[in-house]
Amino acid sequence: MSSGHPRTSKNLLSFIADRFPVDKLNFHHMVEEKRVPIHRMSWGYYTGGLTALFFLIQVVTGLFLLFYYQPTVSDANISVEFISHHVAGGALIRNMHAWSSSCMIFSAIVHLLTAFAMKAFDKPREITWISGVLLLLITFAFGFTGYLLPWNQIAVNATKVGLQSVEDLSQCLPPFLAGLPRVLRETFQGEASIGQSTLGRFYAMHIVLLPLAIASLLGLHLLCVQLHGMSKGVDKETDKSERFFPFFIFKDLFIWAIVFLGLFTVSICVPFDSFLPYPLLAPYDPLAATPPGIKPEWYFYFVYYPLEMLPFPVIVALSNILMAVLFLTPWIFKGTSRRTLQTLALSATAYLIVMTLFGEQIVHFVKP
Amino acid sequence: MMDTFLFIALPYVAFVICVIGTIIRIKKWPVSYSALSSQFLEPKALMWGSVPWHIGIVVITVGHLLAFCFPGLWQSMMGKAEILLATETIGFAAGVVCLAGLIVLILRRIGSSKVQAVTSTMDLIILGLLLAQVLLGLAVALHYKYGAAWVSGTASPYLFSLFTLQPNLQFIQDLPVAVKAHMVLAYLLILLIPFSRLIHMFAVPLQYVFRPAQNVVWNNPRHSEASEANYQQEEARREFIKGAAGITLGCGVLAIGTVDKVYNFFFGPRLSAKEEEEIMSTRLKRLQMTANQRKLELERQTSNFILVSALSDLKANEGKYFIDFNMNTAMAFAGEDGLPILMSAKCTHLGCTVSNQVDEKGQVLCPCHVSFFDVKTGKPNAGAPAKNPLPMLPWAIMDKRGKVIAERAASGQITGDTALSSIKECNVYITRDLEGKA
Repeated sequence: MSSGHPRTSKNLLSFIADRFPVDKLNFHHMVEEKRVPIHRMSWGYYTGGLTALFFLIQVVTGLFLLFYYQPTVSDANISVEFISHHVAGGALIRNMHAWSSSCMIFSAIVHLLTAFAMKAFDKPREITWISGVLLLLITFAFGFTGYLLPWNQIAVNATKVGLQSVEDLSQCLPPFLAGLPRVLRETFQGEASIGQSTLGRFYAMHIVLLPLAIASLLGLHLLCVQLHGMSKGVDKETDKSERFFPFFIFKDLFIWAIVFLGLFTVSICVPFDSFLPYPLLAPYDPLAATPPGIKPEWYFYFVYYPLEMLPFPVIVALSNILMAVLFLTPWIFKGTSRRTLQTLALSATAYLIVMTLFGEQIVHFVKP
Repeated sequence: MMDTFLFIALPYVAFVICVIGTIIRIKKWPVSYSALSSQFLEPKALMWGSVPWHIGIVVITVGHLLAFCFPGLWQSMMGKAEILLATETIGFAAGVVCLAGLIVLILRRIGSSKVQAVTSTMDLIILGLLLAQVLLGLAVALHYKYGAAWVSGTASPYLFSLFTLQPNLQFIQDLPVAVKAHMVLAYLLILLIPFSRLIHMFAVPLQYVFRPAQNVVWNNPRHSEASEANYQQEEARREFIKGAAGITLGCGVLAIGTVDKVYNFFFGPRLSAKEEEEIMSTRLKRLQMTANQRKLELERQTSNFILVSALSDLKANEGKYFIDFNMNTAMAFAGEDGLPILMSAKCTHLGCTVSNQVDEKGQVLCPCHVSFFDVKTGKPNAGAPAKNPLPMLPWAIMDKRGKVIAERAASGQITGDTALSSIKECNVYITRDLEGKA
């Protein structure tokens, strides 16, 4: 290096060179040479692939649904009904889209927790981790925007609550920023109350903006994964490993086949919305009272139930801390042993399970 | 006489010789019970010849066997035009693949001196017979179309009669010469199995796919260095073949199971007139709802007074929903003093629509997060998630001619004549909150 480079730009250059080693950017290194370690946490290596499978299912079934769905307030609900009751295989496709969305979020969360426990974010994999966190956030955004599209009571009312919570952020902001959440809400909502403008915006986000974002980020994520290879996953040195191609990849595909079969069977047998009472699934009526039982999807319970129990600013503060920790994980937990990370991941898992399954009972217990 | 020899004697003789000859050969010369591979001598042309030939001939043989072993099932399947066409197409394509592979194999036999050194006369006879057989088969397929269908009335029952030892020639008497020649050649080939390399068809090396890779240990140091890498390569190749076969099979099963459903999905439903009518009327109803909503919006942009209800229609225990100037839901009650109570129904917590049913405590409930609001004041109960009261809306009471009798300003101040006798025939309106807007 010549002395012409200032110190910081030299550091930046070497940072990028470490994360994107161009000399490894070839088929031989990324596919033929790649090896997957074998140890007791090896199952964690399959969680990312499963998330990708569910994503692919979403893309395909979503394309199918696009043939019939109409994004207008008068036609949205009836077009969804049309898909479910009249189009050949429509109910199955819609069910698969709904079930697979839940599965995608579930496996993405499991993937994040296992990657954390296996310290897969350690240098030089920081960018893999951060793109992964962003991917998870986009997946949640997919869930939120897609939820509105059937335009039934629960869809519109849950979205109403969600958007109103955005506006409530103003309580927690300094006065000169207090107007911002309102602007934000109206930007997404498009008009004074949830209506055609909101539906149009959510539709555009769900089928164009978010897919573009997720596709490009996923490309980066997968490139990083292939460039750096699998992280070793455990503290103890292991010498057992198998070749990624063709051994690991076919096992991966085999699991895909089984999971697909399961998803397919469940989608044929159990309609996704069979867990909701009919009034929530009736077409949205702006002149009627909100029916009881409006709740977000299960994957938002971990923040929804605490919201019922704790003051709003506390929740905002906690989620901000969580976000900061997630994005800074590679630097915060740099020196932490995998043993500690596993304990942390396990307690996070315990929290998620308890809050998702028993959140309602806990709320009743705390606030009779 | 000729027919009796060719189609009754020859098949029995061929079958018996084939079975007995094969057993003797396997017992006496077990090592010869193989295809006598010449891959070692010439691998490249062999690959381009042997692979298409075997793929093609396996498909063709399976097709012929199915037609003869399950004649009933086969006949009912070929009754469907799509299946018949697909079968004919697959069969002909496989035949062409066979022919291509066979030509490569013949050229290789006569083109490569190394291979010629291990070529016997029998090999050449077999190749010639096979070529004639494939050409005949393709000619029959081209010239006497839909053999998959007519075989059920001709060759199938004839073969069945052979197997039941009651040979009956009437089924095939009138068949064209080409078809008959195809059958005779088949018998000849069966007859020659024990005397040629054709015997390898009884030694299909299926276990190759499942046995572990063999690590060849070399004494020669030049080879032993490469041996470990070769072993790895071999193992990977085997895994790849298994995986690729699995994927092909899986995708095939998936395609067979879903292709017509996917097609029908895109083709779209064809509804009965009644269903069509039902959907149309629902659609029209929804469009009208939307149009009404738009009308409300327009009305709220252009007028300063919006009719809510006749005062006499309002109830104390059940609110009447209406849309306020901000296009949010609001509700109207009759108050104790006979004056209307107009309040927003948009919950001040997270914006759900509050119920219009008043309970015995004089409260209405927001179902989303359980806040109770007092109807008279709009205040939430203590400890409710909602912290602010539901806003009271300004209203005006007008008589039939549009004269304002009484009014409630946004500030809550009530002016005008509020005597029950003078307002009871009147209508209630919401008024634009002009000061509030400014």
